[in-house]
Amino acid sequence: MAINQEAYKELELIVGKRWISQDIAERECYRSIMAESSAHSGPYDGETPLPGAVILPGSTEEVQAIVKICNKYDIHFKACSTFWSVMGFIGDDDSLQIDMKRMKKMEFHERDQYVIVEPYCIGAVVQVEAMKRGFNVNMAGVGCSSSTLAGASSWVAFGPSSCFMGVASENFLAVEWVLPNGDLLRTGTLGSGGDWFCGEGPGPSVRAILRGAQGTAGSFGVCTRLAVRLHPWPGPTCLPTYGTVPAYKLVPTWNLKTYTLNFPDWDGYANTINFLSQNQDIAYLGHRQYNMWGRYIKLAMIKLLIEPGGQLADLPKYMADPFIKEQTEKCRIDLQVVIVGMTKRDLEWKEKAIDEILRRVGGWKNEFMLQPEVHDWVLLYLLRLGHKNLNYTLCSSYEGSGGLSNNVFVTSKVMEEYHELREEFDKTHNGLAATGGDSEMGALSTLGGGGITGYEFFQWFDRHDRESVKGCCDFIQNYSQKLCDKYGFGADMGNWNMTARHPDTGYYYTQDEQNAMFVNSPQPGLQIYQYLVKKAFNPLDLCGSYYRTLDPEYWEANHK
Amino acid sequence: MEGIKAKLKAIFGAANVSDDPKVLAGYASDKSFAKTIAPAYVVKASNADQVEALVKFANEAKLPLIPVSSGAPHYRGDTVPSVAGAVIVDLSGMKKIISINSLHRMAVIEPGVTYGEFQEALAKEGMHLAYTLAPRSTKSVLASVMDCEPRLNAMHGWSYTEPFRCVEVTWGDGRRMYTGDAANGGPVGSLEKQFTEEKWQVSPLGPMMLDFYRLLTQSQGTMGIVTWASIRCELAHQAHDCFFLAANEEKDLLNFVWDVNHVRFSEEMFIMNKAEVANLMGKDAAEIAALKTALPAWIVFVGVGGRELLPKERCEQQAADIGEIAQKNGLTLLRSVGGISATNFYKKAISVSPAEKYWKETQKGAFQDIFFLSKIDDTAMFIDKMNALAAAAGYPVSDIGVYVQPIHMGTAYHVEFTLPYDPENKKETALVKDLFIKASEALAAAGAYYARPHGPWARIQLNKDAMNTKSLMKLKGIFDPNGIMNPGKISI
Repeated sequence: MAINQEAYKELELIVGKRWISQDIAERECYRSIMAESSAHSGPYDGETPLPGAVILPGSTEEVQAIVKICNKYDIHFKACSTFWSVMGFIGDDDSLQIDMKRMKKMEFHERDQYVIVEPYCIGAVVQVEAMKRGFNVNMAGVGCSSSTLAGASSWVAFGPSSCFMGVASENFLAVEWVLPNGDLLRTGTLGSGGDWFCGEGPGPSVRAILRGAQGTAGSFGVCTRLAVRLHPWPGPTCLPTYGTVPAYKLVPTWNLKTYTLNFPDWDGYANTINFLSQNQDIAYLGHRQYNMWGRYIKLAMIKLLIEPGGQLADLPKYMADPFIKEQTEKCRIDLQVVIVGMTKRDLEWKEKAIDEILRRVGGWKNEFMLQPEVHDWVLLYLLRLGHKNLNYTLCSSYEGSGGLSNNVFVTSKVMEEYHELREEFDKTHNGLAATGGDSEMGALSTLGGGGITGYEFFQWFDRHDRESVKGCCDFIQNYSQKLCDKYGFGADMGNWNMTARHPDTGYYYTQDEQNAMFVNSPQPGLQIYQYLVKKAFNPLDLCGSYYRTLDPEYWEANHK
Repeated sequence: MEGIKAKLKAIFGAANVSDDPKVLAGYASDKSFAKTIAPAYVVKASNADQVEALVKFANEAKLPLIPVSSGAPHYRGDTVPSVAGAVIVDLSGMKKIISINSLHRMAVIEPGVTYGEFQEALAKEGMHLAYTLAPRSTKSVLASVMDCEPRLNAMHGWSYTEPFRCVEVTWGDGRRMYTGDAANGGPVGSLEKQFTEEKWQVSPLGPMMLDFYRLLTQSQGTMGIVTWASIRCELAHQAHDCFFLAANEEKDLLNFVWDVNHVRFSEEMFIMNKAEVANLMGKDAAEIAALKTALPAWIVFVGVGGRELLPKERCEQQAADIGEIAQKNGLTLLRSVGGISATNFYKKAISVSPAEKYWKETQKGAFQDIFFLSKIDDTAMFIDKMNALAAAAGYPVSDIGVYVQPIHMGTAYHVEFTLPYDPENKKETALVKDLFIKASEALAAAGAYYARPHGPWARIQLNKDAMNTKSLMKLKGIFDPNGIMNPGKISI
């Protein structure tokens, strides 16, 4: 329903005139180009709908009051903090876009190893403050410019350090959450008038409704504060850098090291992942990071990026460099690790353990990546995840596809087939940047302690070029998904959100459309229970279709 | 009632349905202070199809169901009916260890598999389950992990719910479901087919936005009946070493524990008072009494271990570093205390305890536990409070066993008080019963958090948070709309 003047006035009373707007120019700023970010619904040529108003609350009380007004006037709403992805934008005409950027306080509880964050505390700031206190946070793959709370509450939020530090679901302690009906839920110890150190229980954990494998992508009310677990950081309290913008490097520190491990075959790669998972404390961070630029150009890209004046036009020159050429060939199958010594003895043991793994799998450390300037640049990149702008440098945009199996032994068996698929595609299509077939990147683990890998194949395209956008969609739909189907891997990552909103218009799906999509799901109970939970906590269905639901009555009458 | 019995027999077979008063009496009470109420029937389930059929029938007949996985004796009252006419669903006969995969460190087990059985099977594959403190031999692994019993190693507790992963569950409304990885792509519902496709039910999450498995944690059978679960295991140690540290006050050990936690060293670490150490190690009451005089007031136990990569070197490195942390805190690593070697203590702490002579009963024949979660720096306050309450009630403070276990990588601390008593002594039994209730309330008022709200703790804890309780009741209404699953538990 459109936001009428009566409702608008009531919203204005909550936040004051300065923090609400129906100005068309401001509302236009809150639309997302569907090809602008990796939305996991393929890049499409459209924009998300125009909001009816934009509001910026400054406190939990204001958020709760806003949500109550939305319930009173049947206004659809969605909150977002750092707007990395299409997921944070509204999906109905005239909805209320809640921008959380005024709420950015954080509170450290070092003794109990957590920090309470508000929505606009971005990873970079949380990490800087944590490091001053001898701690670190798991930086989600989305990078340090995004909201820590949003990653934890609203999407998946694993990252390169998840093997050591866990994934968002595991680091998520007590939470304060305005439910879609306006109720304020405080989980675990917090709800009992205590501290934030435990978000579970009492009894069956109500937090189950707030996030599962994924967060609710803004489709289940508004998370206003969250306690996130902290992890040990024995490095400097402030990361000292050298070099010139934008090619900063980390000043070497005795107990921080990074290596790019290379393997003769995929078995060696998979076994190394397994060793690091079974001995969870060796790798502080593990990621196949730079392969995202493609098998053929990754080291040349690093070479130009560590030069302050590096240009894309320099790529051919670097690719022709004999040393880079040789090392790139040796770096075909690779994994970056960071090891961190809690003590000198600990560092020595970890160094030996890495060498022992390489001995057992026949691997080696890449020499190009051992060069001091490269090492120091890579270390800063991986520890901070502050280079996410580089996801847009090569071609202006990208979409993550593939995903394959979360079992590294299965994925590693099909990696070359995927590589060849892309190479074949590039022979007949111009839509994607031909960077080397294998552009797979991903984390050592998407669960604390290892056991599950998470990969995405970066498909580089130009969002300003319709043919390029179409080419990316073509590859995902007609090539990548088919490979996933062939091996029973489920939805290609580029299709994960295809059931959440219309890819071409950005509109949410109606319940009827969702019913038709999910009626013959392998396990319809998943969407049926989500429907029942939505009915209980979001009876007016105000927050959109990222929360996938199936009406049980429709299922009873129509399933095959 | 005969119609009910006939239906139960049709589902389970006549031999697996009983209304024999002697059999019913075995489930009418336990060793807690829960009120005695006999069930109407006991059924012994052997597969998920039976369980699903039973839950559907129970919804039609409005029959209360109480799932029981562990063998007797029980201690927490959660398997004792709170209402008349209940059917005990005894799952202890479901003992299949469906798979063990050492490459992925995962196992899938049925609810009747006990700690002794599981650890023995894992040992053959070079693995072990993260240890709980000397569980009784009849304890169901699945019941234990679903109840989030603390593990000795906080450092591997990335998740609060570890090592509990995926499940096959029949919810209270009769719908059978699979959760997490077990429902994520591929052949849902067939473990065999999933194994063929190299899916090992690793991630517990979702698989979508609703975290189904979390609704089963700490639930005391009030949401549904789990018929298998996947469990995360650890590779066995190739080398292991262990030590004690001793102090006169618990608070003098806390900085050491925090410092070790903070650098992620140790394989096992926890704090105990001398009464708890003596209870665990003493063969009889006399030996327990003797040990109490010989032991220091408080100890930390810390173990270090190495797995397949340079195990001996790992042990030596961590032992040396932990030794330095100890020194910094004015403490020393000790190989033994009060005549007990750390190695022998470790063996006892990770072994199952015979059900017929459970270690907590050695001293006086019975005990009552009070356990809850705390912040690290509040543990000393709770210990002082418990001691004061006991002293005021006339209970001997020196008998109270105290066990403090960091969990979830040290963000929370499990605090457990054990009050031994003589069940033949009516006066002492009444005293402990009264102290149990009063202390539980007083500790809650001081901030103790009963995340696992057994018995009276449900009332105490749920009353503190109306919104959480209201939300929980809504969820209960969705997954168990007729309220047939263990009614009376986790309610106000």
